[in-house]
Amino acid sequence: MKKISMILFTMLIFFGFVATSPAAEKLMLYTSMKESLIGKIRDVFVKKNPDIAFDYYSAGAGKLMAKIAAERQSGKLTVDILWHSEVPDFYKLKQEGMLEKYVSPESENVRSPVKDPEGYFTPARLGTLAIAYNKKKIASPPKNWNDLLDARFTNGFGIANPALSGTSFVSVAMIVNTFGWEYFEKMAKNGAIMGQGSGQVVDDTASGDLLATLAPDYIAIDKIEKGANLGIVFPEEMLVIPSPIGIMKGTPNLKAAERFIDFLLSKEGQTLIAAEGTLPIRDDVAIPPEILAMGMVTTGQAVQRAMKLDYIKTMDEKEAIIKKFSAIIRAAK
Amino acid sequence: MLKRFFGKIGIAEVLLFISVLILIVVVAVPVLLILWTALFVDGSLNTKDIIHILSQPGTYEALKNSLVIAGGVTVLSTIIGVFFAWLVSRTDLPFKETMKVLFLVPFMLPSFIGALAWKMLLSPRSGYINKFLVDIFSLDASPFNIYGLGGIIAVETMYLFPFVFIQVAGALERMDPTLEESARISGAGLLTITRRITLPLMLPGIAAGALLVALYSLAHFGVPAILGTESGIYNIPTKIYEQIYQSGGSFVAIRTGTILSSILIVAAGLILYAQNLVLRAGRFQVIAGKSMRPTLLKLRGLKIPILIFSLLYIFITVILPTATIFLVGTLKTYGIAFTWENMSLQNLKYILFDWRMTRDAIWNSFYLSLAAAMITMVVGVLISYTIVKMKVRGKFILEFLGVLPFSVPGTVIALGVILTWSGKFGINLYNTAWIIFVAYIARYMAFSLKSNSAALEQVDDSLEEAARACGATHWQSLRDIVIPLIKPGMVAAFFLIFLPALRELTTSVLLYGPTTRTIGVAIYALNEDGETVYAATLASVALVIIIVGQLVIKRITRTTVQGV
Repeated sequence: MKKISMILFTMLIFFGFVATSPAAEKLMLYTSMKESLIGKIRDVFVKKNPDIAFDYYSAGAGKLMAKIAAERQSGKLTVDILWHSEVPDFYKLKQEGMLEKYVSPESENVRSPVKDPEGYFTPARLGTLAIAYNKKKIASPPKNWNDLLDARFTNGFGIANPALSGTSFVSVAMIVNTFGWEYFEKMAKNGAIMGQGSGQVVDDTASGDLLATLAPDYIAIDKIEKGANLGIVFPEEMLVIPSPIGIMKGTPNLKAAERFIDFLLSKEGQTLIAAEGTLPIRDDVAIPPEILAMGMVTTGQAVQRAMKLDYIKTMDEKEAIIKKFSAIIRAAK
Repeated sequence: MLKRFFGKIGIAEVLLFISVLILIVVVAVPVLLILWTALFVDGSLNTKDIIHILSQPGTYEALKNSLVIAGGVTVLSTIIGVFFAWLVSRTDLPFKETMKVLFLVPFMLPSFIGALAWKMLLSPRSGYINKFLVDIFSLDASPFNIYGLGGIIAVETMYLFPFVFIQVAGALERMDPTLEESARISGAGLLTITRRITLPLMLPGIAAGALLVALYSLAHFGVPAILGTESGIYNIPTKIYEQIYQSGGSFVAIRTGTILSSILIVAAGLILYAQNLVLRAGRFQVIAGKSMRPTLLKLRGLKIPILIFSLLYIFITVILPTATIFLVGTLKTYGIAFTWENMSLQNLKYILFDWRMTRDAIWNSFYLSLAAAMITMVVGVLISYTIVKMKVRGKFILEFLGVLPFSVPGTVIALGVILTWSGKFGINLYNTAWIIFVAYIARYMAFSLKSNSAALEQVDDSLEEAARACGATHWQSLRDIVIPLIKPGMVAAFFLIFLPALRELTTSVLLYGPTTRTIGVAIYALNEDGETVYAATLASVALVIIIVGQLVIKRITRTTVQGV
């Protein structure tokens, strides 16, 4: 027993050292982008910037904000840069003075529905949400939003939990803004299901547990490329959500953070984004033809067909919208 | 003079002092802070928030679900656990030793991994078993739906009944069979003996096991999170989790969490009280230094059917889900057929070598649980020794502190640890592995105390008194008499801590930082992110680590026993 405790003790000390060992400039990104997207970006960025110890924490926007709130309370921020799709959060952070101002030299090439004119954050990707459906179970794909209220989607349409997923929350807000709450009431009557994260509903659709779902573009495309039984469609009124990136105020790694943003907005960074199946925010980056063949639209079309949303107004309504949505979906059960 | 001083304050006293300190700092302070935060705002009673939260239907619903789940799981686990324990220790079931090991195997399988597997097997539209049955019998609808209270209770029972099994099998083995024999000689029938002798003697074991199951399932996060939330079924831990993430982790949400936690503390306290009522009937010191073999019940014609039934039970609850996890873990993406071109070891390579998140998670879990298990075991022995055997002033405080962690669920500990260790009192462990470490110690102290004091209670005082009468100090009698006797209890405590900690989810899901995900958190996050196949691959790795860990520990304990 003594031997074990000695080994253990040595091990603990050893880890204490490893944890504090000095590295190059550190950079911690909190992002809602999944591994399939951020992993590729990390690989290329690390290769080009070997002096930066880059790491990221990938989770839904709700979790990221909860983590940051807890870190703020503890007085020690781990996060250096934040990149997710819940646009209102960025306005709120800016309002609270939590963001560092940075205008990247690349930002003049950025084309986006939202843009912070003062440079506290900038969109780095244009996310779209498709309706993903299981090809085995749904013979004729839905064409518009009303098709989802059909009997063939009864008890089979899923939406990710807006408390966990930023894209899901903004989607709900956009649909309410465009079609009103009645749309979700009808959907709830048709047995719509609130799932967990934005990725899980896609996997549940691929397995056939759900018949169709709102799916972030690159997640669905990644799975289609791996052979999943999924198809995607974009109705005329599109869910187009910019994913802003911003630097946390007071970060000790400001220079590294700025270099990451420059890289992400550059043509090279945006080409990586387009290759993974989501929309670049630059006009000079083309979408690969094989992804267009799956049903993807171009950045120009997406911006044109996008549903409107007043992000600043939505900022204060977040909790109310999530509560009302959950209540409507659950009331029908 | 100096020698006398050190003679008095020996190594036992120093260790005891440290143990009590750990108990206070790690367990008592966080729990008190929870209650304080729940009850008071800026020094005045916070009635408005409390009434607001308690009057919400969601709160009732969550509490009701927590209680229904805990009740169902406890009753079922007790029935199954007692039955199998009796089978392996009091009947002539063939391959008894093997079966005894087999019945402990479900304990190794983390219940949320089980839930993941059962979701794959029994989800209404795409579950493999459902699809299979629909195809074979050309049914119109799937026969099973794992989502819901029934599914949650069934899955938790499958993997929690060993708690009862271990305790009862242990009690049956340690029980002096002469008691039963003398009853038989006096003319009592089997029923009377079972009712008047065996059952009362087993009762402490049953109660201890059932209590562990009840407390565990009352505040369990993983299974309800995987099988309940989608159909809108929340228990208190999943409710707290959702509340915290719904409001972006604001302090208001943490306060709401503390109020919900207080409800859990009360519920757990009531369960504990009920257990005490059961045990008040009497405590028994049944190890008296003698040993005999109990007479075995002959199963006769039922021998083979019961053996087949037991093996089938193990097959359905352990082998089937494990195989599902392993198979799904090899798929390219979820929902495609199991054909050779769809399966590979690519995922395994990816999560073991290429993906830093999963690599970190495996490592974090490993050293966190090893460290927590060691420390908790040592501290637990000293504290339970003081509670059970020593006559010191102020013991009731220790007793209270010893009971406290037992009634505190994992979610509550997580919140308390956040309140205590995020800089408010000068030490900021937030986002580090240390915060999970202190939470593990707080969380598993209860297991260690329970296991050790149960073992200590059965060591007859006469043995130690004999040692003391011959001039041994407290420390000597502890080292030479008590510890060797309770070694099985200590080893059990180590297992009861190390293996659950290795796949812990309920606490770490609220505490993990960007680089301190544990295996449990990583699997849960992968499942939530819709990376079902990677979740399954990582779960397979976890299962392999758990099995190997178990074998290694067995080896270590065997060699140290031989060394004594």
